Amino acid sequence: MTPTLKRYSFNTMGSLCEIQIYDESRINAKRIIKQLSTEAARFEKKYSIYRGDSTLTDINNSAGDPLGIKIDSETTALFRHALGCYEQSNGLFDVTAGVLNRIWDFKKAKAPSQQEIDALLPLVGFSKLSWRNSRLLLPAGMTVDFGGIVKEYAADAVAKLARTLGVAHGLINLGGDFAVIGPQLDGQAWTVGVANPKQEQSLMAKIDLLDGGLASSGDYERFFMHEGKRYSHILNPKTGWPSSGLRAVSVAANLCTVAGSVATIAMLKEESDAIAWLQESGLSHVYMDSNEEVSGVGLKSD
Amino acid sequence: MKRIRSRSLLALSTTALALPGIARADSPPLASTLSYKISNYKEDELSRREVLFGDLDRYDIDVHQFQFLTPLGRNMSLQVDANYESLSGASPWFTSAGLDGKPIVNLSGASGIRDRRAEIAIAASYYLDNGSVSGNLGYSEEDDYRAFYGGLSGERHFNNDSTTVAAGLSYSSDDIFPTDAEIFSRVNSEHKDSASVFFSISQLINQSSSFQTGFSITEQFGFLSDPYKLRDVRPEEKTQLAWTSSYRQFFASANAALHINYRLYHDDFGISSHTLDTAWHQNIGRGFRLIPGIRYYSQSAANFFTNVDDFTQALTEYQSSDYRLSAFGAISGSISLVAEFANWTTTLTAERYITDEKYSAYEVSRPSTALVSYNRVSVDIDYRF
Amino acid sequence: MQNARLAGILLLTISLLSACAEVRPWQRGNFAKPEMQWQADTLESALNDHIFFSKEASSGGNSAAGGGCGCN
Repeated sequence: MTPTLKRYSFNTMGSLCEIQIYDESRINAKRIIKQLSTEAARFEKKYSIYRGDSTLTDINNSAGDPLGIKIDSETTALFRHALGCYEQSNGLFDVTAGVLNRIWDFKKAKAPSQQEIDALLPLVGFSKLSWRNSRLLLPAGMTVDFGGIVKEYAADAVAKLARTLGVAHGLINLGGDFAVIGPQLDGQAWTVGVANPKQEQSLMAKIDLLDGGLASSGDYERFFMHEGKRYSHILNPKTGWPSSGLRAVSVAANLCTVAGSVATIAMLKEESDAIAWLQESGLSHVYMDSNEEVSGVGLKSD
Repeated sequence: MKRIRSRSLLALSTTALALPGIARADSPPLASTLSYKISNYKEDELSRREVLFGDLDRYDIDVHQFQFLTPLGRNMSLQVDANYESLSGASPWFTSAGLDGKPIVNLSGASGIRDRRAEIAIAASYYLDNGSVSGNLGYSEEDDYRAFYGGLSGERHFNNDSTTVAAGLSYSSDDIFPTDAEIFSRVNSEHKDSASVFFSISQLINQSSSFQTGFSITEQFGFLSDPYKLRDVRPEEKTQLAWTSSYRQFFASANAALHINYRLYHDDFGISSHTLDTAWHQNIGRGFRLIPGIRYYSQSAANFFTNVDDFTQALTEYQSSDYRLSAFGAISGSISLVAEFANWTTTLTAERYITDEKYSAYEVSRPSTALVSYNRVSVDIDYRF
Repeated sequence: MQNARLAGILLLTISLLSACAEVRPWQRGNFAKPEMQWQADTLESALNDHIFFSKEASSGGNSAAGGGCGCN
């Protein structure tokens, strides 16, 4: 019996997600998809800042507690990766930058005053976090947000779980972050589309993914025009202002987690630095620069 | 993965791969490591009461170990080992009865033994989603000994990587051509073959403990006697069975781990043994680890062991006064200090090993007087790049 | 006597294995630590195996018998 494609869409982590797997048996596929979507939901339950019962909310609520909060090994590993991103980006990728979101209103396109920014900057800085045994000490007023890491990690974890369950051909899509379980039935790559930041509903590029993952970062939804300059919604933890560089980046790597980190760091850098960063990584990538030109290395584009 | 040239990419990949949802039970190393370990091993002197003539010194050995481990492509790893040993000292030649009837050891030669050993081995592993396969080949050479060996093994993970089953086989072809064979009427050149299989299973018990148990069977054929001893006649075939169990427990509050290993052994020379070793791996601050350990070993005597050589026996009768075939026990204590800094790791180790027939859990009817005690110190340096 | 002891150890082994709860991937952080490996230091293990092989009559256990040397 030839395996057929089973698709399942669901909402998690604030995005529309889709699991595609090839399986001979519909019943088996259903069983597998249930386990995979449960695993994807586990990440939302654990790391969503919008849920009152999540581990991340508990961590943020512990800010200022001198005893700190006990961190499990998975969250510790996430912090280690966040530290890696912080170091490799020279402090630009900072999971504590979330506090700044309070004072930026992208809908009203209104910039806060420099005073407001200066008041919050002392509450930003990964180096201000400290650990004692397996307890995290989060200073008062600071917050942590694993945006840019956890959705990509979830994609990789769900793909690995699928492989453990015996799926040989499939693709995970968590809101634009892709992880390949295995190639298409005939051994061919999956073709995925990357959204165009200029025009909603159209594609910036079509990319062939044989294995590994693809992650994208860009100012598609939220951006900011200020004095003629365009800013993304990704805030620079050093200046308190949103970054202004590339419009969008998509990176392919062995792991969606790694692709996501490289892409997010590229969005935080100045345009020329970002292009150099992407080149040095040696990874296939595609980007749209401030002049709305699309270029890339190693990826098929439309 | 493809040789990661970008340092940033390597750093990000390392932390990503450590994430539990992604981490594989075993995967090729991400970076290459170069290691060098130098050790000195020195046996205690015998007492004058035990040795009537010549030097009291026994073996003094310097060991150099080199290792290079590197990822190869995306799913493979390569390891090269090179070892060099230089040995000086004396070894028991024969035992005789002293004036009081008690056994005396007579050590070999006035100038003692000087020997060197060089060894090179290469191993490669191929990693799949649920396991790995490995192969190795090696060659060892001394002034009087040469060995070619090779092996193949595989590992398979089950239960979401909670259970691992491993098996393998190895084979060695050895030639011995004793020095000064003519002068001392030793055998000129002899041969020995060994083949071995093993099987093991490991299991994660809970978040902080794991257990492993394994069996091995080894068969040796050929010349198994010691050509340097005046009278040493052993069977031309030997079957060895060993069963090992290991336990690891992590203590979060102490930030330390406990290791316990036990081995039960038996061979058809009549020797049985127990080995129990335990170590405490204590993390200290950031980048340091202190590892004290104790080992207890106890063996019974071979069927044909005698503590005084009997030259009146026929040459076809099995006989050996080699202390290693006697009933004895050994206790050793060791301590290691590991220091990690940036890409470097240094380890200092000191060990003291003492043997005594009184330590044996088995019945000792004929104790050997040539039992060995020794001190060992080592320094190891690793560089990751 | 030996047989009874052996049976006892085997029973203990089997009961330990059946006491295992499934350890979820995100609970396995401890096993990645160097101090929790089966063989934390391969050069040290190799050196000890070599020394004990030449000073004692026993060998083998968890892996196939290694390379030859004239020391036994």
